[in-house]
Amino acid sequence: MTSHLERIGIQTTADRQLLDITPAVRAVVARSGVGEGRVFVNTLHTTTAITVNEGLEDLEDDLLELLARLVPAGAPYRHARFLHADGQMAVNAPSHLCGALLGMHTSFPVHAGRIVAGSRQTVYFVELDGPLHREYTVQVIGDPA
Amino acid sequence: MIDFHVHPVQVAELHAADPALDRAVRDVFGLQMPPQPLATLLLHLDAGGIDHAVMLPIDCTTAHGCTVVSNEQVAWLTGQSSRLIGFASVDPSLPEAPAALEHAVRGLGLRGLKLDPALQQFRLDDEVRAFPVYAMAETLDIPVLVHAGLSWAPKGRAALAHPLALERVVQTFPRLRLVVAHFGWPWVAETVMLALRYPTVSVDTSVLFSGTPAESLRQALTSTVGLDTLDRSLSRQIVFGSNYPRVDPKRAVWAVRELGLRPKLLRRVFHDNAAALLAPTSERP
Repeated sequence: MTSHLERIGIQTTADRQLLDITPAVRAVVARSGVGEGRVFVNTLHTTTAITVNEGLEDLEDDLLELLARLVPAGAPYRHARFLHADGQMAVNAPSHLCGALLGMHTSFPVHAGRIVAGSRQTVYFVELDGPLHREYTVQVIGDPA
Repeated sequence: MIDFHVHPVQVAELHAADPALDRAVRDVFGLQMPPQPLATLLLHLDAGGIDHAVMLPIDCTTAHGCTVVSNEQVAWLTGQSSRLIGFASVDPSLPEAPAALEHAVRGLGLRGLKLDPALQQFRLDDEVRAFPVYAMAETLDIPVLVHAGLSWAPKGRAALAHPLALERVVQTFPRLRLVVAHFGWPWVAETVMLALRYPTVSVDTSVLFSGTPAESLRQALTSTVGLDTLDRSLSRQIVFGSNYPRVDPKRAVWAVRELGLRPKLLRRVFHDNAAALLAPTSERP
C-alpha cells in the first residue's frame, strides 16, 4: 500500500463559481504510481466545496442559483459579527452554509493506474466566497502499479 | 467606482519581501488571515465592481516600532496597477513627519495622507505634533483620511480617535480636506455634525460594528442620521470605503446599494465625491 498526496493551489476569480479540476485530479493519479486503489479530493476551506456533476454551463448556473435560493443572502444569520481570531468581520454565513450543503470532498476508484469515473462526471472545486487563492488536496492510496 | 479605504496588509508579495510585516499585521493591526497574492486584491475589486482603490499605510514607529505597510511599499503597489491609488502615512510624534510627508507626495507620488490616531497614539488636536503635519498636507493640497471611532486593532485606542477633536483642526486649517472614516462610529452624530458644519469634512461609509455591513450601515445611518439628511445636506461629502480586509469590498458595495439611495447620490458616493477629493484644487469644479 502506498499513499501519494498533493496540495494544489487555485486562484478563484469571482464571488461564486465552479471550477473544473478533473484534469488536475487525473494528473495526480497518473503521477502517483498507484495502480489499484482510491483517489480522494478534499478542499481545505469551509467556504468552498467539492462536488461532482455533469460539466455543462447551464447546470453550473442552475446549481449556483439553487444554492442562492436555499441560503438567501439577507437572512438574519448569527454568524455576522467581528471575529477576533481572524481580525475581520465574519459576515459570510451563506458561504459556510452552502459549503455544508455541498460537502468538502469526493472520491473515486483507481484501476489500472487511472481514475474510474463516468463519462459525464466532472469534479468541481466550488468557490462560495471568492475571489481568493485557495487550496485542495488530492490523495491517492493503493497498491503500486 | 472608487474605494477610498483599503489596507493592503494581506498582499503576499509585500510579506515575502519584508519579514517584519507579518508581526506588524498580526500583532499591531490585528489581522490573522494568511497573505493572498496581489492578484486577489485586484479580483476583489472586480467582484465589487470597483475601478480604483486607495491604498492606506500606517506609520506606527513611535507607538509600536513598525509600519503597517510603509509609504515605499504603497508606492510599489501603485506601480503594479494603475487601479491602485497610494496614500502616505507619517508618524506625527516624529519631528521629521512633515518632511517625510512632502517626500512621500513629491518624491514617491502618493496622493493623500492617512492618519490613525488610535493606532499611532497621538492627539488629533496636538498643536506641537499634529498641526505641522496638517499644515504640510494643506500646502501639498492633498486629502487626509483620519480614522475615527472604534478601532479593531488590538493596540488601538478609540478615545484618541474622537471626531470632535477634529473641530479645532478644521478651524485652524480651513483649506484642509478631511475625510472622517467609518462615520466615526459610535460617534456618528458627532461626525455628521462636523460634516454638516464644515464643507471641507467628508465621511467614508465603512461602518462595521456587528452584523453584516448592510445591517451596520443601515442601522447607523437610518437611526442616527436619516437618509434624507445625506441626500439634502451631505451629498457631496460622502465617499465609499470598504475597510478591506476587515470586510470584503463586494459586501461593502452591496451594503451601500441596499440603502436605496437615489441614483444621483449613489453615483456621487461611489465615484464623484472621491474623484473630487483626489483632484488638486485647481482641477476641482
